[in-house]
Amino acid sequence: MIGTRSNQYKELPFSIIGSVVFLSCIGLIVLNSISQHQEGGFLANPFNKQLLVLIPAICLSLFIVIIPRYTIHKYSYPLYFIGIVIVLLPFFGSLHANTFRWLNLGLPIKIQPSEFAKVFTTIALARYLSDHTIQMKKFRSIIIPIGFVLIPSLIVMKQPDLGTAIVMLVPVLPMLYWSGARPFYLFLLLAPIFSMLTAFQTLSFTIWAFVLGAVIIGARQTLAMSVIFFFGNIFLGLISPFAWNSLTPYQQSRIISFLNPEKDPLGVAYQVIQSKTAIGSGGVLGKGWGAGTQTHLKFLPVQESDFILSVIGEEMGFVMIAIVLLVVGYLITRILKRAFLSKDRFSSLALIGIGSILLAHVFVNTAMTVGLIPVKGLPFPFISAGGSFLISSYLMVGLVINLSVNYAD
Amino acid sequence: MLKADNIASVRQYFLAVGITICLIFILIARFFQLQILDYDQYSKKANTNRIRKVTTSAPRGLILDRNGQILVDNLPTYILNAVPGELPNKEETFALISKTLGVKPSSLLKNYKKYYRGRFIPARLAKDLTFSQISRLEENILNLEGVYYQQFPERYFPSKVRASHILGYVKEVDKDIRQSLNNPADYEFGDIIGWSGLEKSYEQYLKGSHGIQFYQVDAFGREVGYVDDFPPLDPEPGKNIITTIDINIQYSLENLMDGKRGVVIVGIPETGEILGVVSKPDFSPDLFTGRIREQDWNNVLYDPNKPLVNRFNQGLYPPGSIVKMITEAILLDNQDFDPHALLKCDGSYQYGDRVFGCWYTHGHGNVDLTSAITQSCDIYFYKTIQYYALDKLANYFRLFGFGDVTGIDIEREYKGTIPTTKYMNERYGRSGWSKGALLNFCIGQGEILVTPIQVFNYINILATRGEANGPYLVFPNQKNDSKDLTLDSEVWDRIVFDMKQVVMHANGTGKNADPLVGGVDVFGKTGTAENPHGDDHAWFIGWMNYEGQKFSTVILLENAGSGGAVAAPIAKKVFNNILFDLKNTNSISMK
Repeated sequence: MIGTRSNQYKELPFSIIGSVVFLSCIGLIVLNSISQHQEGGFLANPFNKQLLVLIPAICLSLFIVIIPRYTIHKYSYPLYFIGIVIVLLPFFGSLHANTFRWLNLGLPIKIQPSEFAKVFTTIALARYLSDHTIQMKKFRSIIIPIGFVLIPSLIVMKQPDLGTAIVMLVPVLPMLYWSGARPFYLFLLLAPIFSMLTAFQTLSFTIWAFVLGAVIIGARQTLAMSVIFFFGNIFLGLISPFAWNSLTPYQQSRIISFLNPEKDPLGVAYQVIQSKTAIGSGGVLGKGWGAGTQTHLKFLPVQESDFILSVIGEEMGFVMIAIVLLVVGYLITRILKRAFLSKDRFSSLALIGIGSILLAHVFVNTAMTVGLIPVKGLPFPFISAGGSFLISSYLMVGLVINLSVNYAD
Repeated sequence: MLKADNIASVRQYFLAVGITICLIFILIARFFQLQILDYDQYSKKANTNRIRKVTTSAPRGLILDRNGQILVDNLPTYILNAVPGELPNKEETFALISKTLGVKPSSLLKNYKKYYRGRFIPARLAKDLTFSQISRLEENILNLEGVYYQQFPERYFPSKVRASHILGYVKEVDKDIRQSLNNPADYEFGDIIGWSGLEKSYEQYLKGSHGIQFYQVDAFGREVGYVDDFPPLDPEPGKNIITTIDINIQYSLENLMDGKRGVVIVGIPETGEILGVVSKPDFSPDLFTGRIREQDWNNVLYDPNKPLVNRFNQGLYPPGSIVKMITEAILLDNQDFDPHALLKCDGSYQYGDRVFGCWYTHGHGNVDLTSAITQSCDIYFYKTIQYYALDKLANYFRLFGFGDVTGIDIEREYKGTIPTTKYMNERYGRSGWSKGALLNFCIGQGEILVTPIQVFNYINILATRGEANGPYLVFPNQKNDSKDLTLDSEVWDRIVFDMKQVVMHANGTGKNADPLVGGVDVFGKTGTAENPHGDDHAWFIGWMNYEGQKFSTVILLENAGSGGAVAAPIAKKVFNNILFDLKNTNSISMK
């Protein structure tokens, strides 16, 4: 056993570890720049806080690496239920920033349970999909996994934390695909979302209706099923403008400000405009470390977490942004490769799930800072300052290392 | 150990990697667009974004009298501003301010709405605050987040004179005013702008230019420091203007006219400098500075005597007999006319089917030209109208400066009316008037209307034999060299002689104007102008010659009666005051 262990070091995913270390260092450099003019105590300084949180994060990561893989497999369902319980706990506490996202346990940092729940849910889903030799070609067989993920997601959405809820939902589709589900069923899952989004504009809705029809015909379903799928989606699209009115003003304003950022320059869109200004004014090489005017004049909002990429863009320019994104892309494709090479199904699916979570974070956060999608309060993995998020990111790194090593059994 | 084997296919793997790479490259492409393609645009935006421009008002230039005494000064007052985006709770803040300053919360809110221009632009809450009010405010400043005070130079009138129509007043620039300006960029809301009088005429000199400071501001719009790349631009105070006014003469004229209605002007004929000018009734010059109560303002606005009207350049009056020297000049221009011929005045004169009377109903008896001027006989001029035509008379009026603006440096001057054949035809139709109208015009009645400043210009022309410069109020002034009026020196001699007789002769209508001081010659003419608004207007125009220095004056008293009886005695006091000043203080410096 010992001997096999030592042989496994050769199998350690050094490219993944190296990428994480690189991204963490970039994060610390940027946070140090932001922290220059920070007033207040030791923990008000995001750089200090990040260093402090990295200690338990790395420890947790190492702990995950050394525990046996079957233990993870064994406790994945209990952890899933723990995840549901902990995302419900904040509702019994008090409001923080008008949300029930955080648990205040008297620690220096508040805990955001949804960050852990999203990992637990993914692992549990991997176990479910690997345990059941399901007839994945049947549509019914993909409903249970989706319900599996929807429960914690809806609770998190209710907190309200739309960003994390979306990230929690994202892994389902790639994991279903990975386990052999028919792409047509996945399309049917996504179709209602497109039906609702395109319904607000006649042209886009018309195009969507043609695409929908073409795919349904191409899938060669029975006539009755095809008719139900098609008109079900069209009907959903037609009623969605009415559903719009039932959204909370908070949700509505986020969507509106995305569609027309200039309309409300000091509201949510203000952040996007400032972020784009910071990034755009950085140019190829940036203004230099600590020299970002948008950053240091506090034009840039939540710069240490949600908009940290804007600081990188402003101070280090396009070159560093491209490097960071390429490293992240490299990290995720490495995880995918490990998933492909993995010998057991559970590990493979869990790696796909974690890779999806990371990609969702990266894409949503980055696209938000450059105004491609509405503002979602999502941080960038390993770079953004954060407590729970940083810890859960390292938890995922630990899982990736653990699951990507193939035991010689 | 883990039962199920991995069954992922190569196709699945490549699709997953492909999607990941696609998403990453979409993001990189977007950054390429923002940071490289649109770099210039965002770079510019980043530079303007972080800087707030704050302007400070420049103090207006002072208005000085000819000896450098201050007529209009600046008083440092305070204004209170609020930055809307920084107010934590508007109602609470306003309540605290109103309690501290003793002003109504409603007026704060009213101002706030009036001056609101944006979330991060200060809106004015109150003005004309005293230092003690500001001191009380300063004690509470910690509870007044988003509230700032600022020094604001307000117009202030330290001298003993009112001179309200000369100095004019200023207004606060609001939206309507700003839109009406040719140079709106030079003004901001709340700035003061000259709105009448010299304040308006010399606005470009007086206003100065704003100081500009660039502050770096944070995302909350709070100022965090100066910007090194943009050094602050200090406000440039307005330039002072030196008026031709002599504060002592102005003061004495204001006292003389106290309680009366009319105009008095004193000046130097050769140059056109005005030493003092009063239009009564007038108003307190600080009426417009905001410290005045609404009641006082309404009193002025609705006063039937219209104190806001500047009578010396906007009041239109029939001149009456004071223009008889123009008629005299036109008669002397005619070779057939004999100034020594005696014409009989028996108090009335029939022309056509109308009877025209002399003001002296008993009749002056036999009069020649000199005695007709001296005693202001009307019948003499009625009987001599055959020597000229209407349009020639109108032309002579124009040569003496009537019917057109004098160009005095106070805006909105009126032109008056000098009837010509064309004018009469247009007004009454070709057959609607007769040559009998000339009987009115030759003695300055009928449709003729003049402003007192035109009359002042006229008396200066007479006093200088046509060499006078146009009237003005501020040094330095360009001399107007083009003189159209050329009369023979004998004509001038006779006119000047006759005007001296008016004052110095025992029968002269203007004898009450003689200051009775040795070595002082006074020349003049009275006028008693009939008008449709009541009693006759009393006129006296003339000049005093003292040791080679000339001082001219115009006196008009609305509906006061006979010029000789009412206006001439005022002229005497005017001359005496000038003489007193010359002998005792020698304050009238000649420039």
